[in-house]
Amino acid sequence: MADIRSKLTEFYSLEQMSLKNTVIHKIHPFSKLISTIIYIMCVVSLDRYSFQSLSFYFFYPVITIALAEIPFKMIIKRVIIALPFCVFAGISNIIFDKTIIFSIGGFTLTGGVCSFITIMVKSFLCVASVLILIATTPFSKLTLQLKRMYIPDIIIMLIEMIYRYIGVLMMQADSMMTAYKLRSPYSKFPHIKDMGSFIGQLFIHSADRAERIYKAMKCRGYGTLHIKQIQKKRMILNDYIFMSVVCLSSLMFLITGGQLNV
Amino acid sequence: MFKIENLSVKYPDGTLAVDNFTMNISSGEHIALAGGNGAGKTTLILALAGIIESDGKVIVDNIELNKKNISEIRKKVGVVFQNPDDQLFMANIYEDIAFGPRNLGIDEETIRHRVDDRLKLLNIEHLKYKTALKLSGGEKRMAAIATVLAMKPSVMLLDEPTAFLDPKSRRNLINILKKLPHSMLIATHDLTFANEVCENTVILKYGKIFSQGKSSEILYDNDLMNRGNLEAIENDYNKTTKQ
Repeated sequence: MADIRSKLTEFYSLEQMSLKNTVIHKIHPFSKLISTIIYIMCVVSLDRYSFQSLSFYFFYPVITIALAEIPFKMIIKRVIIALPFCVFAGISNIIFDKTIIFSIGGFTLTGGVCSFITIMVKSFLCVASVLILIATTPFSKLTLQLKRMYIPDIIIMLIEMIYRYIGVLMMQADSMMTAYKLRSPYSKFPHIKDMGSFIGQLFIHSADRAERIYKAMKCRGYGTLHIKQIQKKRMILNDYIFMSVVCLSSLMFLITGGQLNV
Repeated sequence: MFKIENLSVKYPDGTLAVDNFTMNISSGEHIALAGGNGAGKTTLILALAGIIESDGKVIVDNIELNKKNISEIRKKVGVVFQNPDDQLFMANIYEDIAFGPRNLGIDEETIRHRVDDRLKLLNIEHLKYKTALKLSGGEKRMAAIATVLAMKPSVMLLDEPTAFLDPKSRRNLINILKKLPHSMLIATHDLTFANEVCENTVILKYGKIFSQGKSSEILYDNDLMNRGNLEAIENDYNKTTKQ
Protein backbone atom coordinates (compact mmCIF):
# COMPACT_ATOMS: atom_id res chain seq x y z
CA MET A 1 0.00 0.00 0.00
CA ALA A 2 2.69 2.41 1.12
CA ASP A 3 4.58 1.44 -2.01
CA ILE A 4 1.95 2.71 -4.45
CA ARG A 5 1.44 5.85 -2.36
CA SER A 6 5.17 6.57 -2.25
CA LYS A 7 5.43 5.94 -5.99
CA LEU A 8 2.63 8.44 -6.51
CA THR A 9 4.37 11.01 -4.32
CA GLU A 10 7.53 10.36 -6.31
CA PHE A 11 5.59 10.75 -9.54
CA TYR A 12 4.46 14.23 -8.56
CA SER A 13 7.77 15.18 -6.95
CA LEU A 14 9.13 16.26 -10.32
CA GLU A 15 6.34 18.77 -10.68
CA GLN A 16 7.03 19.94 -7.12
CA MET A 17 10.44 20.99 -8.42
CA SER A 18 8.72 23.45 -10.75
CA LEU A 19 7.99 25.76 -7.83
CA LYS A 20 11.63 26.57 -7.25
CA ASN A 21 12.88 30.04 -7.99
CA THR A 22 16.07 29.54 -9.96
CA VAL A 23 17.19 31.34 -13.09
CA ILE A 24 15.75 28.55 -15.28
CA HIS A 25 12.44 28.51 -13.41
CA LYS A 26 12.07 32.24 -13.98
CA ILE A 27 12.30 31.90 -17.75
CA HIS A 28 9.01 32.38 -19.56
CA PRO A 29 7.15 29.06 -20.13
CA PHE A 30 6.73 29.87 -23.81
CA SER A 31 10.47 30.27 -24.24
CA LYS A 32 11.16 26.94 -22.50
CA LEU A 33 8.45 25.17 -24.47
CA ILE A 34 9.71 26.37 -27.84
CA SER A 35 13.34 25.65 -26.89
CA THR A 36 12.43 22.10 -25.88
CA ILE A 37 10.47 21.48 -29.09
CA ILE A 38 13.31 22.77 -31.30
CA TYR A 39 15.89 20.84 -29.28
CA ILE A 40 13.92 17.58 -29.63
CA MET A 41 13.39 18.16 -33.35
CA CYS A 42 17.12 18.69 -33.85
CA VAL A 43 18.03 15.61 -31.81
CA VAL A 44 15.68 13.32 -33.70
CA SER A 45 16.75 14.79 -37.06
CA LEU A 46 20.34 13.68 -36.63
CA ASP A 47 21.48 10.80 -38.82
CA ARG A 48 21.27 7.36 -37.24
CA TYR A 49 25.02 6.78 -37.61
CA SER A 50 26.14 10.11 -36.20
CA PHE A 51 26.08 9.29 -32.55
CA GLN A 52 29.31 11.23 -32.02
CA SER A 53 27.44 14.45 -32.98
CA LEU A 54 24.86 13.67 -30.34
CA SER A 55 27.43 14.25 -27.64
CA PHE A 56 27.10 18.01 -28.26
CA TYR A 57 23.46 17.81 -27.34
CA PHE A 58 24.27 16.91 -23.77
CA PHE A 59 24.94 20.62 -23.22
CA TYR A 60 21.24 21.41 -22.74
CA PRO A 61 20.26 18.85 -20.09
CA VAL A 62 23.52 19.18 -18.18
CA ILE A 63 23.50 22.97 -18.01
CA THR A 64 19.78 23.38 -17.31
CA ILE A 65 19.72 20.65 -14.65
CA ALA A 66 22.64 22.32 -12.91
CA LEU A 67 21.19 25.83 -13.14
CA ALA A 68 17.70 24.70 -12.11
CA GLU A 69 19.13 22.85 -9.11
CA ILE A 70 17.30 19.65 -9.99
CA PRO A 71 18.92 16.49 -8.65
CA PHE A 72 20.48 14.61 -11.62
CA LYS A 73 19.37 11.37 -10.01
CA MET A 74 15.75 12.44 -10.22
CA ILE A 75 15.93 12.90 -14.00
CA ILE A 76 18.12 9.86 -14.65
CA LYS A 77 15.77 7.58 -12.67
CA ARG A 78 12.82 8.63 -14.78
CA VAL A 79 14.68 8.47 -18.09
CA ILE A 80 15.75 4.91 -17.32
CA ILE A 81 12.09 3.89 -17.20
CA ALA A 82 11.73 4.89 -20.86
CA LEU A 83 14.88 3.15 -22.08
CA PRO A 84 13.62 -0.47 -22.17
CA PHE A 85 11.03 0.58 -24.75
CA CYS A 86 13.83 2.01 -26.89
CA VAL A 87 15.79 -1.24 -26.55
CA PHE A 88 12.86 -3.06 -28.13
CA ALA A 89 12.67 -0.44 -30.86
CA GLY A 90 16.38 -0.55 -31.66
CA ILE A 91 17.37 -4.18 -31.10
CA SER A 92 16.41 -5.24 -34.63
CA ASN A 93 18.96 -2.77 -36.03
CA ILE A 94 21.78 -4.83 -34.51
CA ILE A 95 20.46 -7.98 -36.19
CA PHE A 96 19.69 -6.61 -39.65
CA ASP A 97 22.16 -3.78 -40.25
CA LYS A 98 25.57 -5.41 -40.66
CA THR A 99 27.25 -2.49 -42.52
CA ILE A 100 30.74 -2.06 -41.11
CA ILE A 101 31.37 1.50 -39.99
CA PHE A 102 34.93 0.97 -38.85
CA SER A 103 37.16 -1.72 -37.47
CA ILE A 104 40.08 -1.48 -35.10
CA GLY A 105 42.09 -4.63 -34.62
CA GLY A 106 39.59 -7.40 -34.19
CA PHE A 107 36.81 -5.07 -33.15
CA THR A 108 34.32 -4.00 -35.79
CA LEU A 109 31.53 -1.55 -35.24
CA THR A 110 28.53 -2.31 -37.39
CA GLY A 111 25.93 0.20 -38.51
CA GLY A 112 23.35 -1.71 -36.46
CA VAL A 113 25.21 -1.22 -33.21
CA CYS A 114 25.87 2.40 -34.10
CA SER A 115 22.21 3.14 -34.84
CA PHE A 116 21.16 1.23 -31.74
CA ILE A 117 23.36 3.43 -29.57
CA THR A 118 22.05 6.51 -31.40
CA ILE A 119 18.45 5.51 -30.70
CA MET A 120 19.23 5.02 -27.03
CA VAL A 121 21.06 8.34 -26.71
CA LYS A 122 18.39 10.21 -28.68
CA SER A 123 15.66 8.77 -26.45
CA PHE A 124 17.67 9.66 -23.38
CA LEU A 125 18.09 13.27 -24.51
CA CYS A 126 14.48 13.74 -25.64
CA VAL A 127 12.95 12.28 -22.49
CA ALA A 128 15.40 14.21 -20.32
CA SER A 129 14.55 17.51 -22.03
CA VAL A 130 10.82 16.95 -21.51
CA LEU A 131 11.40 16.04 -17.86
CA ILE A 132 13.46 19.19 -17.41
CA LEU A 133 10.63 21.22 -18.90
CA ILE A 134 8.15 19.67 -16.43
CA ALA A 135 10.55 20.13 -13.52
CA THR A 136 11.04 23.81 -14.27
CA THR A 137 7.54 24.85 -15.36
CA PRO A 138 4.25 24.20 -13.53
CA PHE A 139 2.03 21.88 -15.57
CA SER A 140 -0.85 24.35 -15.57
CA LYS A 141 1.37 27.05 -17.08
CA LEU A 142 2.49 24.66 -19.78
CA THR A 143 -1.04 23.84 -20.81
CA LEU A 144 -1.85 27.54 -20.78
CA GLN A 145 1.00 28.13 -23.22
CA LEU A 146 -0.30 25.35 -25.45
CA LYS A 147 -3.65 27.13 -25.41
CA ARG A 148 -1.93 30.36 -26.39
CA MET A 149 -0.27 28.51 -29.25
CA TYR A 150 -3.73 27.62 -30.57
CA ILE A 151 -3.30 23.89 -29.96
CA PRO A 152 -6.86 22.47 -30.17
CA ASP A 153 -8.63 22.42 -26.80
CA ILE A 154 -9.44 18.74 -27.13
CA ILE A 155 -5.74 17.84 -27.31
CA ILE A 156 -4.86 20.00 -24.31
CA MET A 157 -7.75 18.52 -22.36
CA LEU A 158 -6.57 15.04 -23.27
CA ILE A 159 -3.05 15.80 -22.02
CA GLU A 160 -4.40 17.26 -18.76
CA MET A 161 -6.79 14.39 -18.19
CA ILE A 162 -4.17 11.71 -18.81
CA TYR A 163 -1.76 13.47 -16.47
CA ARG A 164 -4.32 13.71 -13.67
CA TYR A 165 -5.84 10.31 -14.36
CA ILE A 166 -2.54 8.57 -13.58
CA GLY A 167 -2.80 9.85 -10.01
CA VAL A 168 -6.47 8.90 -9.73
CA LEU A 169 -5.80 5.41 -11.03
CA MET A 170 -2.87 4.87 -8.67
CA MET A 171 -4.79 6.16 -5.64
CA GLN A 172 -7.69 3.88 -6.46
CA ALA A 173 -5.36 0.92 -6.95
CA ASP A 174 -3.76 1.73 -3.61
CA SER A 175 -7.08 1.65 -1.72
CA MET A 176 -8.19 -1.54 -3.47
CA MET A 177 -4.87 -3.27 -2.82
CA THR A 178 -5.15 -2.41 0.87
CA ALA A 179 -8.67 -3.81 1.02
CA TYR A 180 -7.52 -6.94 -0.83
CA LYS A 181 -4.48 -7.55 1.37
CA LEU A 182 -6.51 -7.12 4.55
CA ARG A 183 -8.74 -9.97 3.50
CA SER A 184 -6.02 -12.02 1.89
CA PRO A 185 -3.07 -11.78 4.28
CA TYR A 186 -0.90 -14.41 2.55
CA SER A 187 -0.76 -12.85 -0.89
CA LYS A 188 1.18 -9.77 -1.89
CA PHE A 189 -0.68 -9.26 -5.16
CA PRO A 190 -4.18 -10.19 -6.27
CA HIS A 191 -4.35 -13.87 -7.19
CA ILE A 192 -4.67 -14.56 -10.89
CA LYS A 193 -8.27 -15.77 -10.42
CA ASP A 194 -9.18 -12.43 -8.80
CA MET A 195 -7.22 -10.32 -11.26
CA GLY A 196 -10.06 -9.95 -13.79
CA SER A 197 -12.56 -8.54 -11.36
CA PHE A 198 -9.84 -6.53 -9.57
CA ILE A 199 -8.79 -4.73 -12.74
CA GLY A 200 -12.38 -4.36 -13.90
CA GLN A 201 -13.43 -2.82 -10.62
CA LEU A 202 -10.33 -0.64 -10.60
CA PHE A 203 -11.33 0.91 -13.90
CA ILE A 204 -14.97 1.31 -12.93
CA HIS A 205 -14.09 2.95 -9.61
CA SER A 206 -11.40 5.18 -11.06
CA ALA A 207 -13.66 6.25 -13.94
CA ASP A 208 -16.26 7.19 -11.35
CA ARG A 209 -13.66 9.10 -9.35
CA ALA A 210 -12.29 10.79 -12.46
CA GLU A 211 -15.79 11.99 -13.26
CA ARG A 212 -16.12 13.52 -9.78
CA ILE A 213 -12.77 15.24 -10.22
CA TYR A 214 -13.86 16.56 -13.60
CA LYS A 215 -17.00 17.97 -11.99
CA ALA A 216 -14.85 19.67 -9.34
CA MET A 217 -12.68 21.11 -12.11
CA LYS A 218 -15.71 22.42 -13.99
CA CYS A 219 -16.98 24.06 -10.79
CA ARG A 220 -13.75 26.03 -10.69
CA GLY A 221 -14.17 27.37 -14.19
CA TYR A 222 -12.32 24.66 -16.13
CA GLY A 223 -13.04 24.88 -19.83
CA THR A 224 -14.62 28.32 -19.70
CA LEU A 225 -11.44 30.30 -20.30
CA HIS A 226 -11.30 31.82 -23.74
CA ILE A 227 -7.96 32.32 -25.47
CA LYS A 228 -8.45 36.11 -25.40
CA GLN A 229 -8.87 36.08 -21.62
CA ILE A 230 -5.45 34.56 -20.97
CA GLN A 231 -3.27 37.12 -19.27
CA LYS A 232 -0.11 37.29 -21.33
CA LYS A 233 3.02 37.63 -19.27
CA ARG A 234 5.47 39.56 -21.44
CA MET A 235 8.72 37.90 -22.39
CA ILE A 236 11.81 39.76 -21.27
CA LEU A 237 15.35 39.86 -22.65
CA ASN A 238 16.47 36.82 -20.63
CA ASP A 239 13.68 34.72 -22.14
CA TYR A 240 14.71 35.67 -25.66
CA ILE A 241 18.37 35.01 -24.90
CA PHE A 242 17.58 31.55 -23.47
CA MET A 243 15.41 30.64 -26.43
CA SER A 244 17.97 31.89 -28.98
CA VAL A 245 20.90 30.13 -27.33
CA VAL A 246 19.13 26.78 -27.10
CA CYS A 247 17.51 26.89 -30.53
CA LEU A 248 20.48 28.28 -32.45
CA SER A 249 23.03 25.99 -30.85
CA SER A 250 20.77 22.97 -31.43
CA LEU A 251 20.44 23.93 -35.10
CA MET A 252 24.15 24.64 -35.35
CA PHE A 253 25.06 21.19 -33.98
CA LEU A 254 22.62 19.66 -36.41
CA ILE A 255 24.12 21.45 -39.39
CA THR A 256 27.74 21.00 -38.38
CA GLY A 257 26.95 17.37 -37.64
CA GLY A 258 26.57 17.59 -41.42
CA GLN A 259 24.06 14.83 -41.85
CA LEU A 260 20.59 16.28 -41.77
CA ASN A 261 18.31 13.30 -42.11
CA VAL A 262 15.68 14.68 -44.47
CA MET B 1 -28.71 37.37 -3.61
CA PHE B 2 -29.23 33.75 -4.59
CA LYS B 3 -32.64 32.85 -5.95
CA ILE B 4 -33.84 29.35 -6.75
CA GLU B 5 -37.24 29.01 -8.36
CA ASN B 6 -39.04 25.74 -9.08
CA LEU B 7 -35.84 23.82 -9.64
CA SER B 8 -36.31 20.21 -10.69
CA VAL B 9 -33.75 17.59 -11.62
CA LYS B 10 -34.66 14.40 -13.41
CA TYR B 11 -32.22 11.50 -13.77
CA PRO B 12 -31.99 9.81 -17.18
CA ASP B 13 -33.98 6.86 -15.78
CA GLY B 14 -36.86 9.22 -15.03
CA THR B 15 -36.36 9.50 -11.26
CA LEU B 16 -37.17 12.95 -9.98
CA ALA B 17 -34.18 13.70 -7.71
CA VAL B 18 -35.16 17.29 -6.95
CA ASP B 19 -38.75 18.35 -7.19
CA ASN B 20 -39.84 21.99 -7.48
CA PHE B 21 -37.27 23.41 -5.11
CA THR B 22 -37.71 27.09 -4.35
CA MET B 23 -35.59 29.16 -2.00
CA ASN B 24 -33.88 32.52 -1.56
CA ILE B 25 -30.57 33.05 0.18
CA SER B 26 -29.82 36.62 1.05
CA SER B 27 -26.33 38.05 1.18
CA GLY B 28 -24.26 36.58 4.00
CA GLU B 29 -26.97 34.16 5.07
CA HIS B 30 -26.04 30.58 5.99
CA ILE B 31 -28.68 27.93 5.31
CA ALA B 32 -28.40 24.26 6.15
CA LEU B 33 -29.79 21.67 3.79
CA ALA B 34 -30.52 18.58 5.84
CA GLY B 35 -32.01 15.29 4.79
CA GLY B 36 -31.47 11.56 4.93
CA ASN B 37 -29.41 9.57 2.44
CA GLY B 38 -30.76 9.91 -1.09
CA ALA B 39 -32.81 13.00 -0.26
CA GLY B 40 -31.28 14.84 -3.22
CA LYS B 41 -28.88 17.19 -1.41
CA THR B 42 -25.79 16.53 -3.55
CA THR B 43 -27.84 16.52 -6.76
CA LEU B 44 -29.33 19.88 -5.81
CA ILE B 45 -25.88 21.35 -5.14
CA LEU B 46 -24.54 20.11 -8.48
CA ALA B 47 -27.60 21.49 -10.27
CA LEU B 48 -27.16 24.89 -8.61
CA ALA B 49 -23.59 25.03 -9.88
CA GLY B 50 -24.75 24.11 -13.38
CA ILE B 51 -22.88 20.81 -13.35
CA ILE B 52 -26.01 18.79 -14.03
CA GLU B 53 -28.94 19.94 -16.08
CA SER B 54 -32.08 21.10 -14.38
CA ASP B 55 -35.41 22.78 -15.03
CA GLY B 56 -36.37 25.98 -13.27
CA LYS B 57 -34.56 29.18 -12.49
CA VAL B 58 -31.34 29.82 -10.61
CA ILE B 59 -30.33 33.46 -10.29
CA VAL B 60 -27.08 34.58 -8.69
CA ASP B 61 -26.52 38.32 -8.31
CA ASN B 62 -29.05 38.97 -11.09
CA ILE B 63 -27.40 36.52 -13.47
CA GLU B 64 -29.52 33.60 -14.53
CA LEU B 65 -27.97 30.16 -14.83
CA ASN B 66 -28.03 29.07 -18.46
CA LYS B 67 -25.53 27.79 -21.02
CA LYS B 68 -24.63 31.33 -22.07
CA ASN B 69 -23.88 32.53 -18.56
CA ILE B 70 -22.24 29.40 -17.23
CA SER B 71 -18.77 30.96 -16.87
CA GLU B 72 -20.21 33.92 -14.96
CA ILE B 73 -22.11 31.54 -12.67
CA ARG B 74 -18.96 29.46 -12.06
CA LYS B 75 -17.24 32.64 -10.87
CA LYS B 76 -20.01 33.39 -8.43
CA VAL B 77 -20.90 29.95 -7.11
CA GLY B 78 -18.22 27.99 -5.29
CA VAL B 79 -18.73 24.30 -4.53
CA VAL B 80 -16.92 22.40 -1.79
CA PHE B 81 -17.27 18.70 -2.53
CA GLN B 82 -17.98 16.00 0.04
CA ASN B 83 -14.66 14.28 -0.55
CA PRO B 84 -11.77 16.78 -0.60
CA ASP B 85 -9.69 14.29 -2.58
CA ASP B 86 -11.95 15.02 -5.56
CA GLN B 87 -11.05 18.67 -5.31
CA LEU B 88 -7.30 18.45 -4.79
CA PHE B 89 -5.85 17.09 -8.00
CA MET B 90 -2.80 19.23 -8.66
CA ALA B 91 0.79 18.57 -7.61
CA ASN B 92 0.60 20.76 -4.52
CA ILE B 93 -1.81 22.96 -2.61
CA TYR B 94 -0.57 26.20 -4.18
CA GLU B 95 -1.32 24.88 -7.65
CA ASP B 96 -4.69 23.57 -6.48
CA ILE B 97 -5.73 26.95 -5.11
CA ALA B 98 -4.39 28.75 -8.19
CA PHE B 99 -6.28 26.41 -10.55
CA GLY B 100 -9.61 28.26 -10.31
CA PRO B 101 -8.27 31.83 -10.64
CA ARG B 102 -6.13 30.74 -13.60
CA ASN B 103 -9.27 29.49 -15.31
CA LEU B 104 -10.74 32.93 -14.77
CA GLY B 105 -7.82 34.45 -16.70
CA ILE B 106 -6.36 36.27 -13.69
CA ASP B 107 -2.68 37.26 -13.90
CA GLU B 108 -0.06 35.32 -11.92
CA GLU B 109 0.85 38.14 -9.56
CA THR B 110 -2.75 38.58 -8.41
CA ILE B 111 -3.12 34.81 -8.13
CA ARG B 112 -0.06 34.61 -5.88
CA HIS B 113 -1.47 37.28 -3.57
CA ARG B 114 -4.87 35.65 -3.58
CA VAL B 115 -3.47 32.21 -2.73
CA ASP B 116 -1.38 33.61 0.13
CA ASP B 117 -4.37 35.52 1.39
CA ARG B 118 -6.64 32.48 1.48
CA LEU B 119 -4.00 30.30 3.08
CA LYS B 120 -3.57 32.89 5.81
CA LEU B 121 -7.31 33.25 6.34
CA LEU B 122 -7.67 29.52 6.94
CA ASN B 123 -4.41 29.22 8.92
CA ILE B 124 -2.89 26.73 6.52
CA GLU B 125 0.11 28.67 5.23
CA HIS B 126 2.35 25.73 6.13
CA LEU B 127 0.56 23.55 3.53
CA LYS B 128 1.36 25.82 0.59
CA TYR B 129 3.86 23.57 -1.18
CA LYS B 130 2.68 20.24 0.22
CA THR B 131 1.06 17.58 -1.91
CA ALA B 132 -2.52 16.65 -1.00
CA LEU B 133 -1.42 13.04 -0.57
CA LYS B 134 0.38 13.92 2.63
CA LEU B 135 -2.35 15.94 4.33
CA SER B 136 -4.72 14.90 7.09
CA GLY B 137 -8.49 14.91 6.56
CA GLY B 138 -8.88 18.27 8.32
CA GLU B 139 -6.08 19.86 6.34
CA LYS B 140 -7.51 18.54 3.10
CA ARG B 141 -10.89 20.03 3.95
CA MET B 142 -9.35 23.43 4.68
CA ALA B 143 -7.34 23.28 1.45
CA ALA B 144 -10.51 22.40 -0.49
CA ILE B 145 -12.28 25.41 1.01
CA ALA B 146 -9.29 27.60 0.10
CA THR B 147 -9.53 26.44 -3.53
CA VAL B 148 -13.09 27.71 -3.65
CA LEU B 149 -12.45 30.94 -1.73
CA ALA B 150 -9.68 31.84 -4.16
CA MET B 151 -12.33 32.32 -6.84
CA LYS B 152 -14.03 34.99 -4.70
CA PRO B 153 -17.51 33.48 -5.02
CA SER B 154 -20.55 35.27 -3.69
CA VAL B 155 -22.28 32.00 -2.77
CA MET B 156 -20.69 28.86 -1.38
CA LEU B 157 -22.30 25.44 -1.63
CA LEU B 158 -20.81 22.91 0.76
CA ASP B 159 -21.57 19.22 0.55
CA GLU B 160 -21.17 17.40 3.87
CA PRO B 161 -18.26 19.58 5.02
CA THR B 162 -17.85 17.74 8.33
CA ALA B 163 -17.46 14.32 6.71
CA PHE B 164 -14.11 12.65 7.60
CA LEU B 165 -13.30 15.27 10.28
CA ASP B 166 -12.25 14.61 13.86
CA PRO B 167 -13.85 16.78 16.61
CA LYS B 168 -11.00 19.28 16.68
CA SER B 169 -10.96 19.77 12.91
CA ARG B 170 -14.74 19.99 12.96
CA ARG B 171 -14.57 22.73 15.58
CA ASN B 172 -11.94 24.56 13.53
CA LEU B 173 -14.18 24.32 10.45
CA ILE B 174 -17.17 25.70 12.39
CA ASN B 175 -15.12 28.69 13.54
CA ILE B 176 -13.87 29.37 10.02
CA LEU B 177 -17.30 29.08 8.36
CA LYS B 178 -18.82 31.40 10.96
CA LYS B 179 -16.19 33.99 10.09
CA LEU B 180 -16.75 33.88 6.33
CA PRO B 181 -19.04 36.59 4.96
CA HIS B 182 -20.30 34.53 2.00
CA SER B 183 -23.84 33.31 1.52
CA MET B 184 -23.80 29.56 2.12
CA LEU B 185 -25.94 26.54 1.46
CA ILE B 186 -24.58 23.65 3.48
CA ALA B 187 -25.77 20.11 2.83
CA THR B 188 -25.20 18.10 5.97
CA HIS B 189 -26.30 15.24 8.20
CA ASP B 190 -24.50 16.82 11.12
CA LEU B 191 -27.35 18.68 12.73
CA THR B 192 -25.43 20.14 15.68
CA PHE B 193 -23.01 21.57 13.13
CA ALA B 194 -25.94 22.93 11.12
CA ASN B 195 -27.38 24.49 14.26
CA GLU B 196 -24.12 26.25 15.07
CA VAL B 197 -23.30 27.55 11.61
CA CYS B 198 -26.68 28.19 9.98
CA GLU B 199 -29.51 30.43 11.08
CA ASN B 200 -32.07 28.54 9.00
CA THR B 201 -32.48 24.94 7.94
CA VAL B 202 -34.31 23.32 5.06
CA ILE B 203 -35.19 19.66 5.39
CA LEU B 204 -35.23 17.77 2.11
CA LYS B 205 -37.09 14.51 1.69
CA TYR B 206 -37.36 12.62 -1.61
CA GLY B 207 -36.16 15.76 -3.44
CA LYS B 208 -38.86 17.99 -2.01
CA ILE B 209 -38.77 20.59 0.73
CA PHE B 210 -40.25 18.73 3.68
CA SER B 211 -39.86 21.48 6.22
CA GLN B 212 -37.96 24.71 6.78
CA GLY B 213 -37.47 27.18 9.57
CA LYS B 214 -35.08 28.43 12.18
CA SER B 215 -32.36 25.89 12.93
CA SER B 216 -32.71 26.47 16.66
CA GLU B 217 -36.33 25.36 16.44
CA ILE B 218 -36.79 22.65 13.85
CA LEU B 219 -33.57 20.73 14.53
CA TYR B 220 -34.76 20.00 18.07
CA ASP B 221 -38.18 18.82 16.96
CA ASN B 222 -38.05 15.09 17.53
CA ASP B 223 -41.20 14.22 15.66
CA LEU B 224 -40.42 16.41 12.65
CA MET B 225 -36.87 15.09 12.39
CA ASN B 226 -38.03 11.49 12.57
CA ARG B 227 -40.47 12.06 9.76
CA GLY B 228 -37.67 13.68 7.77
CA ASN B 229 -35.46 10.56 8.19
CA LEU B 230 -33.20 12.43 10.59
CA GLU B 231 -32.51 12.43 14.29
CA ALA B 232 -33.21 15.56 16.32
CA ILE B 233 -30.47 17.22 18.34
CA GLU B 234 -30.72 16.02 21.90
CA ASN B 235 -31.94 18.49 24.47
CA ASP B 236 -33.32 17.79 27.93
CA TYR B 237 -36.84 17.36 26.63
CA ASN B 238 -35.77 14.95 23.84
CA LYS B 239 -33.69 12.91 26.26
CA THR B 240 -36.68 12.46 28.59
CA THR B 241 -39.04 11.42 25.81
CA LYS B 242 -36.46 8.93 24.44
CA GLN B 243 -36.10 7.32 27.83
